[in-house]
Amino acid sequence: MSAAIEARGVEKRYGSLVALADLSFEAEVGEILGVLGPNGAGKTTAIRVLTTILSPTRGSFEIAGSSHDRPAEIRRVIGVLPESAGYPERQTGEEYLRYHARLYGRSRSGARAAARELLREVGLGERKGSLISTYSRGMRQRLGIARALVNEPRVVFLDEPTLGLDPAGQRQILSTVRRIAGDRGATVLLCTHLLADVEETCSRVLILNGGRVAAQGTVAEVARQAAAPRSARLRVSPEQADRAIAALGAVPEVETAAADGRPGLLRITLAQAEGHAESALRALLDGGIPVLSYELEGARLSDAFLAMTERP
Amino acid sequence: MGWRVVTAQELRDLWLGGRGLVLSFAFSLLLSVIAYLVATNHALNFLEQRESVNLTLQVAIAVGALLALLVGADAVSGERERGTLESLLLTPVSRFEITLGKLLAALSLWLAALVLTVPYVWFLGRGVGLVGDAVLSGLLVGTLLAVFLASFGVLISVFASSNRVSLSLSLLVLLALFVPTQLPSSAQQGWAGDLLLRLNPMTAGEHYVGKIVTNGHAWSVDLAWLLSPALAAAVFTAAALVAGGRFMGLRGGGSQ
Repeated sequence: MSAAIEARGVEKRYGSLVALADLSFEAEVGEILGVLGPNGAGKTTAIRVLTTILSPTRGSFEIAGSSHDRPAEIRRVIGVLPESAGYPERQTGEEYLRYHARLYGRSRSGARAAARELLREVGLGERKGSLISTYSRGMRQRLGIARALVNEPRVVFLDEPTLGLDPAGQRQILSTVRRIAGDRGATVLLCTHLLADVEETCSRVLILNGGRVAAQGTVAEVARQAAAPRSARLRVSPEQADRAIAALGAVPEVETAAADGRPGLLRITLAQAEGHAESALRALLDGGIPVLSYELEGARLSDAFLAMTERP
Repeated sequence: MGWRVVTAQELRDLWLGGRGLVLSFAFSLLLSVIAYLVATNHALNFLEQRESVNLTLQVAIAVGALLALLVGADAVSGERERGTLESLLLTPVSRFEITLGKLLAALSLWLAALVLTVPYVWFLGRGVGLVGDAVLSGLLVGTLLAVFLASFGVLISVFASSNRVSLSLSLLVLLALFVPTQLPSSAQQGWAGDLLLRLNPMTAGEHYVGKIVTNGHAWSVDLAWLLSPALAAAVFTAAALVAGGRFMGLRGGGSQ
């Protein structure tokens, strides 16, 4: 299966400032690729370069088979929800979508039909005739996503689509994102700094930091490669805590074992990531100490993200 | 033909959004005051009828072109500030066509101003057979000046870092173009004064209208005075379209 997005060594500089360096990755058809990074990591610059708003200083990329030196071709096959997109307050949602459909060459009647269908799809069908000035932030984001779909794109770029939304609004947007990939078969590049969005929605993840790719792969792969678990928190009954610490102290693979604040809560450090957690657990079970909970630290995407993006 | 879609939408925004109507209403109020003063004021109503028409027409041309300038100066920087430019740039419509569409929409204000001017010209010039010449010369010169100023506004708007900068700079240049009209008449005589009047598209254009309306000259007699308005219109239109097509971006200063 050919890649829907293929970037090779893309770089964007503003004078001596490197906003994006050596960006190389691929996204397959129909997948949702999450792009994570702290503020200033280069996420928005990456999207603006890949969507032809900015030209790269170096490197090349292809979107749905169109090369970066054919920007008009690329713009025909992509849909974009830009970060902090503005909306014309005096237009209705339907007028706004109709205008954009017309810009993609649709006839008047085709544009009207597409606008109505998209508004219905993103749950704004009832408000199609309302001025955008009366829309909530969540409704505007959904309108922006509808606009991004107006040309039936093969690749959709969404820059912080859930920013500033309440949990219900976030859930609604993420469900729309899944439908874009699932029902329409479009590739989605979801740019966010909310890890939960990525864990919940994306099949693969790309972490940017300081304009460079810090990691990429499936969520599990990235979590593993960035911060392989070397410590764990476990809970036993408070009266068993001292026995548990003693039992764990006798295991060679456990470097440290100590109480972790609350009664019955312990924290252990392992000599190695691989296999040593099992030895610690076995020692407790062999000693007849029931383990009420056990959680490896560093196995989550958030740990990986922090490990890769922490500044010195 | 993306420019047609852009023009149509810009016209809807301008006129149905109310901005064009408000500006046109203000324009017609101003013209009403001028016409009233010309027709009734003791100092002004000694003007010969042709001069009254000329004065009204010159005000209409100047203010109508100013309106086109204001809309042009908001065209790109305004969208940039409202955050709506990026989604426009993401469409397959070229930046050249976007610029063209916006420029054409800006000119609609001048055409509306001209239509509003016709009744005043007719009222002040009735009976001396100059209404036709006045309206047509106003259409010709006003269109050249409106094209020049709207293009200039768009050009500034492409590069301006903010809408405020764009509007301020455009108005400053417009005021500078009107400075020669405030010079004492002695300074407007002689070869230097004549050259200044001819080089400045605003003064040259209005001079041409004056020759036709006030002096009753034939259209072909003073054609040389149309050179700088025509040249300014052509050069600045080309410059605005090229700059828009090449440098229109999310940040001012043409950075990409």
